[in-house]
Amino acid sequence: MSSVLLQQTINGIVFGSLYVLVALGLTLIYGVLVQINFAHADVVTIGAFAAYFFTFTLGGNYLASIAVALVVGAALGWLVNATIFAPLRERGSELLPLIATIGVSILLQNAMLLWFGPIPYPFDSPYSNEVIRLGGGTFITWQNLIIIIVSTLTIALLYAFMKFTFMGKALRAVAQDRETAGLMGINPSQLIMVTFVIASALAGMGGAMLGPILVLTPFAGTSVIVKAFAIVIIGGFGNVEGTIIAGLLVGLIESYATQLVNPGLIDIIVFTLLLLMLAFRPTGLIAEKREENV
Amino acid sequence: MTKRAIACLGMAAMFGLFAATNVDAQDKVIKIGGLFPMSGPGAYFGAQDKQGIDLAIEQINKTGVNGYKFEVQYEDSACSPLPATQAAKRLLDQYKPHIVIGEECSDATLAVMPVMEQAKVPLLNAGSSSIRVTEPGNPWTFRIMPNEVMQGVDIATNAYKRLNARTAVLLYENTNAGIGNAKVFGDTFTKLGGKILADIGFGRDVNDFTAIATRIAGLGKVDVIPTYTLEGQGLRITQALAQASVTKGGGGQSIQLGTIWLPFGFEQKAGKAALGYVRIVQFDPTDQRDVVKNFVQSFKAKYNQDPTHINAHAFDQILVIADAVRRGATDAQSIRDRMAATKDFSGVTGSVEFDKTNQNIKMDTIHYMETLPDLSWKALGWN
Amino acid sequence: MSSQDHAALAGPTHRLSRGWWLLAAVVVIALLPFVFQDSYWRTNLIVCALNVMLAIGLNFILGFAGQLNLGHSAFYGIGAYVSTLLIIKLGLPFWAAFVVGIAAAGVAGMALSIFAVRLRGHYLAIASLGFAVIVHQVLVNWISMTQGPLGLYGIRPPPDIALPGLPVISFGNSANMFYLVAGFALLFYLLLDQLARSPIGETLTAIREDEVSASSLGIDCTAWKVFAFGVGSAVAGAAGAFYASFVGTLVPDAFIITESFTILAMVIVGGMGSLSGPVWGAILLTVLPEVLRGFGDLRFILYGAALTLVVLFMPGGMVQAAQTLRARIGRSTPATGSGR
Repeated sequence: MSSVLLQQTINGIVFGSLYVLVALGLTLIYGVLVQINFAHADVVTIGAFAAYFFTFTLGGNYLASIAVALVVGAALGWLVNATIFAPLRERGSELLPLIATIGVSILLQNAMLLWFGPIPYPFDSPYSNEVIRLGGGTFITWQNLIIIIVSTLTIALLYAFMKFTFMGKALRAVAQDRETAGLMGINPSQLIMVTFVIASALAGMGGAMLGPILVLTPFAGTSVIVKAFAIVIIGGFGNVEGTIIAGLLVGLIESYATQLVNPGLIDIIVFTLLLLMLAFRPTGLIAEKREENV
Repeated sequence: MTKRAIACLGMAAMFGLFAATNVDAQDKVIKIGGLFPMSGPGAYFGAQDKQGIDLAIEQINKTGVNGYKFEVQYEDSACSPLPATQAAKRLLDQYKPHIVIGEECSDATLAVMPVMEQAKVPLLNAGSSSIRVTEPGNPWTFRIMPNEVMQGVDIATNAYKRLNARTAVLLYENTNAGIGNAKVFGDTFTKLGGKILADIGFGRDVNDFTAIATRIAGLGKVDVIPTYTLEGQGLRITQALAQASVTKGGGGQSIQLGTIWLPFGFEQKAGKAALGYVRIVQFDPTDQRDVVKNFVQSFKAKYNQDPTHINAHAFDQILVIADAVRRGATDAQSIRDRMAATKDFSGVTGSVEFDKTNQNIKMDTIHYMETLPDLSWKALGWN
Repeated sequence: MSSQDHAALAGPTHRLSRGWWLLAAVVVIALLPFVFQDSYWRTNLIVCALNVMLAIGLNFILGFAGQLNLGHSAFYGIGAYVSTLLIIKLGLPFWAAFVVGIAAAGVAGMALSIFAVRLRGHYLAIASLGFAVIVHQVLVNWISMTQGPLGLYGIRPPPDIALPGLPVISFGNSANMFYLVAGFALLFYLLLDQLARSPIGETLTAIREDEVSASSLGIDCTAWKVFAFGVGSAVAGAAGAFYASFVGTLVPDAFIITESFTILAMVIVGGMGSLSGPVWGAILLTVLPEVLRGFGDLRFILYGAALTLVVLFMPGGMVQAAQTLRARIGRSTPATGSGR
């Protein structure tokens, strides 16, 4: 019996890393731009498709396709921000960009439907079915291991970037107080673009790694997006450490819940947790330094 | 006089011929409404239905049937009751078809049935498995696909008797079709004396099935796992079950049972994880009957891909209508009546003969296949 | 948006012109089923009326009380399921179930609001989204009560009304059903309009503009926000009850969260904060996908593009566009106290 529990724990950590991948970009965007981006999910999906076509149509190496997806994600982020979000931000409303992200999401999904069709693409990497037996009856696939390793590396890099580079510090400055940062000679709109590009690159890369696990259709991203938002809030908007912990927590809840109750109830459990968090600790698991929405 | 008479007669004859062919060109068309999901996730079905129908109509119109050409108009029903009702009404009001084919999702089909009945236009269905589509006995609704009761009772009985299964885990998507089919299996299996160890329903947005596979692995001896899901999630489930060493493909003992929802080619995508999978297959592209060979050949020629059961069902629906027209049907009412009397019809997915509730009861549409180590099918000959 | 602009956006305040608008609306509603006689367009008319109800309810919460509610579909669904289940399981007569359905949706709205009362901005947005997910999942999973994805079928339209001396009014007739739904939509519109113009409306505006100052003036912000949420969600509940009795079939997936986004889009595209804006937004975004059916695969791409473009170039929605047009043509603004 305990090997089942152990395996579900491993599964939970894997799930968690998947969610963290998607949620990281969201939390970054929110942290700096104070904006919810519903189109984020579609960048993940596009990243997955980019990786798929690079691997299967162009015959490329799967690991290289992750880099390809990263670049595609970055390019898409640059495009969307330049054409839609930057102009909107000047109006100063917080609702309009949100609606715009909904419009963009509908556009992207249906464009993908038109180009790629609705039939799931069987995306398998050389690693998605290779199993490592960990003893005690537990296992993990190489793909999952790659995801955990790459997520950890990315988070570490992101951390270092935010703490030690000038650009990273500037980003945090803009997140704290946009006006003052502007007075200090930092160009906010340039930084916002950088944030968007990084977040979208993360999303694209996430898509490439998730592709062999997801059911790959134009609607793939939407299956994770709402939970990703929940994680961002539970962890604390804009808080990277919080997002990681929340992601892992939600992953573990999912696998334990699957073991004990009907998997259909998972969403109810996770979102009830979300509402409880908002009721009792709205700043998230790790208290934010900022206090504006409470 | 004679010259003029001949000239007049000749002109009259020409005029008559001209009028007759013109009347033919304008009047002798069978209008078919295609009510399918084209947007959203349901587009998975609609896109394939369209391929099958377009191919069938193209072939039929080469010669026509009794002088009639076939024509189709598609409307997007989005797999949901209200959009399906709107699409159906639009078809009926604007296109005025003689017959409508659709929908795929059971709740959309059930919502549309009263609209079709009121308009007195027959609805031909080959995608919805809910028993409620035909059981109440709606004279205007026809179904050529075996319903959830036909499939479920049959496969559960075969699992118990031929596979000696005594324990099962139900695994299904949380939709009308998934829940309905799983319930029939569960009821039949328990009545025979088997035991359901777990009843696991999951949403269409679940991607990773490792946790579910782990749970099943912890249940002890599971003989069969009836799985009701579409190919996208089905692939991930089969792979996860193998990774967790539950099924034969992963070195375990359990046998996955499937119904008609998984297309040919699934095994190639799933790889060795699919070893030992036993499922009901309605469309077998290796079938040696001429109608099947021609279908596969012309489908590949037109679309450059292998046909699936959804393509095959759609194709057959046109053939069924053509058969009715051949026997003298010309409008909605007569198509309904002639279809109800269909006999000795053999299509790509099997024979068609409707019972009193307009359900096709020919069981030769249900073939059982087992996946061999080389990923090909072995016909089990249970039907 | 200053309160002056807000009043201007609300439309003509002069009693007489409001009277004319009302008359025009009644006449249009009365005539529409004669213009559109086929069942397809009549269905669309009824769906329009339902969406108008949803949009004005959401607008009250969002535009007037300033609360970012992304979960409006939950109240739609609660109204539909509660009223229908009461009729099916307890044999309650339609109108009694209708009232209970509205109440249930209203109470749910107030519950969410009380819960979220300390939250603002994006936190409330995600909380409301989470609430909508929970409601939807409960509808899906509680099969013994709601039948879940198996669905409820054969739901009857509201019972016939037999007044002495007049022919029986049957709601199986689509024209009558349209009059019923549109009539209620108009009723709710008038009710919300009255509320908006009353001191209650001013209070809500004050809370929306600056909550801190408002509470320093002694306004109980919590109570008013809860009130606004309750009213808006109750109207959605009414729409839900009508939805069920009109479509005849009820499945949980009719109330997924993307439905909330559609309603939100109607409010924004029409023009948030004005009362008439959402009406136009609802009509446009109901009719547009139908009219675009001829475009086949491009239909939703065009829809998404339209939405994005409106937000980019016309953030005040159709109401703002109409006003810009009016200003350009050089007509003077209606003589009210709200100067520009």
